[in-house]
Amino acid sequence: MIHAIEIDGLTKQFGAVRAVDDLRLQVAPGEVFGFMGHNGAGKTTTLRMLLGLTAPTRGTARVLGRDVSRETLAVRRACGYLPADYALPPDMTPRQFLVYVAAMFGVTGEPAAARADELLRQFGLQAAADRKLRGFSTGMTQKVGLAQALINEPRVLLLDEPTSGLDPLGRHELLELLRGLARDRGVTVVFSSHILSDVESLCRRVAVMHHARLIACDEVAALKAAHGVASMDDLYLALVRREAA
Amino acid sequence: MTLALLRLDVRAGLRERKIWFAAAIYVYTLLAVPLLLLNPPPHVAAAMSAFFGDQDPFTFFMYVWTDLAMNKVVAMLGVVLAAGVVLRERDTRVLPIFASKPISMPRYFAVRATSACLVTAVLYITTQLIAVPVFMARVPGFRPGEFLAAGLLHVWAAMFATALAATLTVIVGRRGPGLLLSLIVIMTLVGMAFLGFYHPAWRSIALLNPFALGVEAVGHLGALGPGVLLPPMLGLAAICAATILVGAFAVRRLEV
Repeated sequence: MIHAIEIDGLTKQFGAVRAVDDLRLQVAPGEVFGFMGHNGAGKTTTLRMLLGLTAPTRGTARVLGRDVSRETLAVRRACGYLPADYALPPDMTPRQFLVYVAAMFGVTGEPAAARADELLRQFGLQAAADRKLRGFSTGMTQKVGLAQALINEPRVLLLDEPTSGLDPLGRHELLELLRGLARDRGVTVVFSSHILSDVESLCRRVAVMHHARLIACDEVAALKAAHGVASMDDLYLALVRREAA
Repeated sequence: MTLALLRLDVRAGLRERKIWFAAAIYVYTLLAVPLLLLNPPPHVAAAMSAFFGDQDPFTFFMYVWTDLAMNKVVAMLGVVLAAGVVLRERDTRVLPIFASKPISMPRYFAVRATSACLVTAVLYITTQLIAVPVFMARVPGFRPGEFLAAGLLHVWAAMFATALAATLTVIVGRRGPGLLLSLIVIMTLVGMAFLGFYHPAWRSIALLNPFALGVEAVGHLGALGPGVLLPPMLGLAAICAATILVGAFAVRRLEV
């Protein structure tokens, strides 16, 4: 079976700082996979390496069987990505922005406009579709950000802190959307989050990173049982404390 | 894919806020030049008499319009429109989204820089078209055909200024210093654009300056035709393309 994501010995060094250290994991097609860890643990760098936005110092990563270093554009064609820290072009409207992003995938004209409309409707953005993005609230920006990540109907969705900035209802809707994408369309979803309840509600398997290293990667239930804890918060603390000891 | 993206990018570029600033500068130039011509500074009038003679007020006007006005405007606006290409998106955190799409950074830069050049061309040509009726009413001996023909050549110099600003900034890697360097380099080249007119012996060397190619029409007023206009146009088009290619090569090392 070809894994949706296969990471082998992936390492990233920024000068004296090791951002990711010998990471090894696989994600199955159609799986919703969670990345947990403190700020600077290496989650964002890992996601960026999966898209070829930063080159690994060592190791390899494959997305849908394609090497991210050698077949970067082919990998990006199959992926949707929402960075953790981003802004949208202020002088574009959501509709113009989505059509622009669609053009980067070679989708233009009527199909691009129709796809943009579909996503604007899906995220409840029709009323704001022709307003400039300048001045959009955090939640609205996040919705447009998510819409652009879905413009190419990706087979793999990489989301870095996607629920940040969303209100409880928005968060709930997003988690439902991700669940539906995995269940109905077989989309592989990898997402990082500080909100452990989001990870638990969505993912069967999680990876926990701590100071650039993978300290756990297994099914949530198995990890909880192994550490004798009931909640995700307790699981995370148990893993980190074990690591510090 | 690239052409469709370029078309969308030009439209997006024309909707940016800084376009209003650029348009305001062009309108100011359009209104200011006839006033300047009514009462030119004595040293300018004396220099013009020496270089072009007194017999043709249209030649004098074309020098003022091309060198004193448009050359300076395109130098400044080239920097304004293009010095932030890709780097501004990086600094404002827009780039991570675009960089994650199936387009390489060199190709993305090429699209953005070419788009900035085309936006420059749209603004320039619009100004020239609006200028015709304005100058017909105010400039003695104004010849609209030659005015537009000279503009069709000079617009390539404007596009070169834009391409050069985009490339120099991306080579420097930081917006502020890149913008400053672009301004210095482009203004220096603009300052030497008419060197071949002033010192005919240096003409062949002066033509190595793309801005000198852009003002070639001013030296051939009364005899403008494809033979005069096409060679410098093609030369400038090639220089623009080469400049953008250099920028595309330089942008490969950009960390998003």
